[in-house]
Amino acid sequence: MIHVSHVSKTYPSQVSALSDVSLEIPPGEFTYVAGPSGSGKTTLLRILFGAERPTSGEAVVNGVHITEKGLGTTYPLRRTMGIIFEEPKLLRDRSVGENIALSLEVTGHFGKKVREKVSQVLAEVGLQAREKDSILYLSAGEQQRVAIARALVHDPPLLLADEPTGNLDLRTTDDVLKIIGHLHEKGTTILFATHDMDLLQRYPHRTVYLEAGKIMGNVRT
Amino acid sequence: MSSLYYLLARSFRNMRENLLANLATICIIAISMLIFSAFSLITLNLTSFLQLWEKKIEVIAYLKKKIPPPEVEGLIRNIRLIHGIDAVKYVSSTEAMAFMESKLGSQKNLLEGIQSDVLPPSFEIKLKQDYRNSTKIKEVVSQLKEFSPIEEVQYGQEWVETFSALVHIVRLMQWILGGLLTAAMTFIIANTLQMTISSRREEIEIMHLVGARPAFIQIPFYIEGLIQGLLGAALAMVSLQFLYRVFLSYVTPSMAGWLKKFSVTFLSQETVAWFLLGGVVLGLFGSFVASLKTLKYSG
Repeated sequence: MIHVSHVSKTYPSQVSALSDVSLEIPPGEFTYVAGPSGSGKTTLLRILFGAERPTSGEAVVNGVHITEKGLGTTYPLRRTMGIIFEEPKLLRDRSVGENIALSLEVTGHFGKKVREKVSQVLAEVGLQAREKDSILYLSAGEQQRVAIARALVHDPPLLLADEPTGNLDLRTTDDVLKIIGHLHEKGTTILFATHDMDLLQRYPHRTVYLEAGKIMGNVRT
Repeated sequence: MSSLYYLLARSFRNMRENLLANLATICIIAISMLIFSAFSLITLNLTSFLQLWEKKIEVIAYLKKKIPPPEVEGLIRNIRLIHGIDAVKYVSSTEAMAFMESKLGSQKNLLEGIQSDVLPPSFEIKLKQDYRNSTKIKEVVSQLKEFSPIEEVQYGQEWVETFSALVHIVRLMQWILGGLLTAAMTFIIANTLQMTISSRREEIEIMHLVGARPAFIQIPFYIEGLIQGLLGAALAMVSLQFLYRVFLSYVTPSMAGWLKKFSVTFLSQETVAWFLLGGVVLGLFGSFVASLKTLKYSG
């Protein structure tokens, strides 16, 4: 599913974000990338969804090779995954349903099938009654659940999550983790970046520890 | 709902959300294209007017002195051999005097006491259709001047040359202005679309994240530019038609003499279609420039 081989990333300002990182994530696995702020978690995830190119080394995600040459275009890779962030990145002038449908519409799917799929995925995240509501009327936790629904509506085999619970309280974090855990049980591969060490104890999974851009530990549960 | 419908809907939503900027752009395109098309219309009619005038051109070759009829016959034969000559008519001094008298009508007594041989004999020379323009006439005139009995050749060259120069200047101005206005319109369309793109930056970023093809993101902006260009050009054509009708109502009735025979024409349907197409191409080009500047996305 994900193969990272000797990946380093140095920004033009000469800041080294990743240094010789190698990592293997088989299909269906739930893996945390944990570490303090600035440890390189976000950079690693950005490389994996094609937003950054490594300075050296190679990453292979769902069969797509990401090297220092970068990707000519990112959309084939992005369609094989769902991505969620600390900020839900939702369109405030659209309804819950429209935000989720966007993910299918950009890949050329419209009409009844989209509506059915949106309803189904909203039920999975517990927001079936909010489909027509504006994003503005949702709490932070509900917005994050909409973002998860949008990331999953096209049934990707991989979910990349970059600190999705960073802005949430304990109870809402639990809700989000339960949804993601449920997806994992259904076979989705999860790569979850977090700096929340409590989270790792409450929902234990394999954890790769990053510090100053280097892998400092790889703990399997 | 198809992709096309979806893309069109997005384009119209973008336009609606930046309505004022879009309306301003359409008006500026319309004004620019109106200026350019007005020059085209003026050039078209001046050219038609020049052609009409040239059709009336007749060359008159004045002879040095009275020459005997056999020599006149020989001269006519030789003149007819020149390329572009349609007909040659000999006008004797007596015939010239009679013509003058007929023109003066009741005032012909002014010519009393004047001998007819004061007026030189001449040849009235009609040219073939394709020789009735300033360039070809000069060729014929230079050959006529080579005949020694011919003293002077007249064809109203100053008027023809001045008018030709005027048409040339108007045409040149049309293209210079056209170039400047095209650059200005591209800049304005690109700027309006950059505003639209900026206002939709968040949406564009999300679309990239969820796997939209670059073309899928760009097409609505191209459609927006296309619509701006097309509506601007259409508005320009409607305004030009209106101004043309005003001109017909107020100016042409005051045309006198043989000018009455000249009908001021509007641009042909084909030319109007070219202008509309030009608006579309311009709109697409402006949106392409805008997308190059602002739709590059690496995230």
